[in-house]
Amino acid sequence: MAKKKIVAQADLARIETVIAEYQNERWALLPLLERIQQEFGFIPPSSIGLIAKGLRLFPAQVQGVITFYAQLYTTPRGKNIVRVCRGTACHVRGGKTILKLVKRHLGIQEGEITPDFEYSLETVACIGCCALAPNMVINRNIYGRMNPKKVALIFGQHGRQ
Amino acid sequence: MQSVTITLDGREVSGYPGMTILELARESGINIPTLCYDPHLSSIGACRVCLVENEQSGALLASCVTPIAPGMVINTHSPRVTGHRSTIVKLMLASHPDSCLVCDKGNRCQLRQIASDMGIGLSEFQRIPQMAAIEEVNPFIERDASKCILCAKCIRACQELAVEGAIDYFRRGFTAKPATLNDLPLEDSECSFCGTCVALCPTGALMEKERAYRGTTKTATQTTCPFCGCGCSICLEVKDNHVVRVTPGKQDAVNHGTLCVRGSYGCDFIHSPDRLTKPLVKANESFEEVSWEQALELAATEFKRIKDKHGPDSLAVLGSSKCTNEENYLLQRFARCVLGTNNIDNGSSLYNAATRIGLGTSIGFPGTTNYVSALEESEVIIAIGADPPSSAPIVGYTIKRAVKYKGAKLILIDPRRTKLSSFAYLWLRPKVGTDVALLNSLAKVIIDEGLLDEEFVARETDNFEACTKTLEEYSPEYAEAITGIASKEIRAAARLYAAASQAAIVYGSGITQHTSGTDSVKALANLAILTGNIGRRGGGIYALQRENNAQGACDMGALPNFLPGYQNVSDAQARRKFEDRWGVSLPANPGLTALEIVEQARQGKIAGLYIIGENPVLSFPHSSLVTQALTSLDFMVVQDMFLTETAKLASVVLPATSFAEKEGTFTNFEGRVNQVRKAIEPLGQSLSDWEIILRLADKMGCPLPFSSLQQVMDEVEELVPLYEGYADSQRLHEDELSIREAGRSYRGQLLRGFARFSPVQYTPHVPRQIRGREGKAPFLEAKEGYPFTLLTGTILYHFGTGTRSSRAWRLKKFSPQSFVEIGEADAQKLGISHCDKVSVISPVSKLTTIAKIIDGLPEGTLFMPISFPETPVNGLFDITLDPEAKTPSLKACNVRIERVGPHGEKEDSRTS
Repeated sequence: MAKKKIVAQADLARIETVIAEYQNERWALLPLLERIQQEFGFIPPSSIGLIAKGLRLFPAQVQGVITFYAQLYTTPRGKNIVRVCRGTACHVRGGKTILKLVKRHLGIQEGEITPDFEYSLETVACIGCCALAPNMVINRNIYGRMNPKKVALIFGQHGRQ
Repeated sequence: MQSVTITLDGREVSGYPGMTILELARESGINIPTLCYDPHLSSIGACRVCLVENEQSGALLASCVTPIAPGMVINTHSPRVTGHRSTIVKLMLASHPDSCLVCDKGNRCQLRQIASDMGIGLSEFQRIPQMAAIEEVNPFIERDASKCILCAKCIRACQELAVEGAIDYFRRGFTAKPATLNDLPLEDSECSFCGTCVALCPTGALMEKERAYRGTTKTATQTTCPFCGCGCSICLEVKDNHVVRVTPGKQDAVNHGTLCVRGSYGCDFIHSPDRLTKPLVKANESFEEVSWEQALELAATEFKRIKDKHGPDSLAVLGSSKCTNEENYLLQRFARCVLGTNNIDNGSSLYNAATRIGLGTSIGFPGTTNYVSALEESEVIIAIGADPPSSAPIVGYTIKRAVKYKGAKLILIDPRRTKLSSFAYLWLRPKVGTDVALLNSLAKVIIDEGLLDEEFVARETDNFEACTKTLEEYSPEYAEAITGIASKEIRAAARLYAAASQAAIVYGSGITQHTSGTDSVKALANLAILTGNIGRRGGGIYALQRENNAQGACDMGALPNFLPGYQNVSDAQARRKFEDRWGVSLPANPGLTALEIVEQARQGKIAGLYIIGENPVLSFPHSSLVTQALTSLDFMVVQDMFLTETAKLASVVLPATSFAEKEGTFTNFEGRVNQVRKAIEPLGQSLSDWEIILRLADKMGCPLPFSSLQQVMDEVEELVPLYEGYADSQRLHEDELSIREAGRSYRGQLLRGFARFSPVQYTPHVPRQIRGREGKAPFLEAKEGYPFTLLTGTILYHFGTGTRSSRAWRLKKFSPQSFVEIGEADAQKLGISHCDKVSVISPVSKLTTIAKIIDGLPEGTLFMPISFPETPVNGLFDITLDPEAKTPSLKACNVRIERVGPHGEKEDSRTS
């Protein structure tokens, strides 16, 4: 499982050194945001002003880009990202129930994070393997042909108490 | 340039390369509807309403972003195009609330206009749920995202025109909307409430929040903004003789579709209940309403009596830098012909005299040498002693645009952090009042390192050697000791400025309101001519004027030593020209300046004073002395819109009209002569200043030979060489604001044919009496007991002494009370916390206000805005004058600050 550094309190000084590498380069906004997210798991909102200053953009512009991309986050995320597919094929084959069960197992709603920062729950529109519907993805592993038993098994296997 | 020919709706039309289809169509008289296009903004093709069809490829193109190409065949209204266009409009309507009936935008809504033009009624599409309006407490702007069509006009206006960057798109898809950082209300963002976005918004998504009227007015008058020296074109929308809305004007060579908060929301003062509507005469310490006949009779009799008894020079006139050119012209003629004295000055002498004298000596032209728009072409801009985003917002926008989008480098010279600080390439923070030393040092570096424009210096200047000699001692190290700026930074700034092929200098009252003002202006001019930056496209000197017609009032000769057009009164030949025309003999001795008038009044040498639209009690230094002087007068007439602090001391108060009720012209700081047009009838019995002056002259028995403003203009054109062609330009079409590109303005060449270097020395500030003595004490040396240096200046939400802005209800609501800004370290030392009540005490006076802790002030420095009548900051100043310009020092003085108590409480209730 990919290890991701969880930063509850973002290290702004570290972020500033990252920004310094892209000083005054307006084009570098996306690579810079990706860098920060890679390192911290999310883009701390308090860093938006610093990013804007470094790249000579308006803070609102930086925020606009971050909120445009679903893949960029301004809130901390769990160590493991659970994505349940809500695409048409998965829906027809009971994706809705799978999502309900996952929610129950994790005790969180979609878009939320467990209090111990272990899991984030998200939904996706399609992951491109509809033949295996209903699908679920945890980090980079795809779990196809999901059923209630498998849900229980997977979250047991992931060491959830 | 090769032209490009395309076929547009079956017609062959040609345009220049790079032109868009939309621009060419508009030029050819073909109307393509748009929602997101505006000529002032970059085009982004957001709304897709302007789509057209390329007949050859069948592609549907957004015409606002598609450049024309040779041989294109474009259909703008084919069935396919109109079909798609109407689907797009229907989709917009489907996500738009059906609240047209109660929407303020009403018939001004462009979405509704386009829908009705295309015959689209109720849409068959399923409706999409809407978002709620955004809660905000500011009195200016209301946002309702449910009516937003995401055209991004507001976003572009904010980023490209006003360069505040307060808003941008937020999220995407159905939840997308323009929002501030963290989606906060506007008052918690960078927004400066300029109102540009409100004027541009095609729908009701952005509206005026607290407004006088909800509908669409039938009449709108193009006129000129009455606040700062920028002279923006504004449009007054009138309903039942009420100005209900102000929008950016159409003829906007100055403001390019923008305004500032004062222009957009500050004109509320026109209908303030405090407006004077009847003449007042003082009887037994209180004012009585009288008829015009009685008031003018009394004024005329008294002026005549004083003139006969004490001679004409016992009378004085104070003209207004807020009144029109014609009024100032009439007033100086009234002073010189009817009263027979040269004792006439205007309010701009408080901040403009140093410019007039300094630039007049150096380059032979008493004012700004280039247009604001040319600033965008500058490579380097020096902004010194000025806070343009507050005092002259259009210049602020232009500097920010130049830096942000044109790659200009800004050298900001200001001890205070201002909005420009974050745009500065170099930010030098000199000790207050040490500008001359810094500027001389910059010049020395340029000369020593051979960075000067030798050809220009040799060809078009003189006195270079004398200047070089005085500069010898101003090494950057010496300047560092005086100014506190590292020598390294001084060198860097000098190199940057000199290396630019086009460099501009912008300065304001932070230069001119020091006792060394004239010297600083000369030092600035030296820098400009040293590098040949006069008459270049993007170079020049920009002398910001605080008030709308400061330039015009001086041009018109409302000055003690100059006849109209800066023709010296002591020059017999110049005088002869006016004597012949006016048929009187003119006094030859120069009159008294504004401050001298007050001083002489105190000594009893001036007995009668006629003040128009000025408020010396607040705007002059040392209020108590001024009040004392004015009360000791035999007779004083004040002509104003409001019963100001000065008017309260008058014997006769004449009610004048506002700018919205009169005709005339204002000359902005660039030298553009802008038209002022009458939008509403005068309130009550008030009269325009020019009418009052004419009637008073009649009553005095020396009528001035004018029956209309046009005649005044004709005479101005005849007698003032700078205003050549000016009367003609008035006869333009109704809708046009006659901005003459060449006229009063500087035309690029040096008027005298050469510029003169003026050697200036840094003189530390010492009281007048011992000026000229040897020895150099540091400027504003902390006096015993007064350890702080108080800086004063303009804030964005108020203007001048606040006579008008404090009566503009929206401005007053947003910025209700005065404050003193204090640095964090200083505040901590003195135990002052945010919003505490504090006393600011100078050797002269004392006032109580609220402390505001900010970062960005150097230690030992305070800042206070000048525009709150209840805390007359200028009253803290002693009268110390610039020796040449006679401008009082009104920028910095020594004070101490004491904590009185927490917010709104008295000391005694706290210490119990």
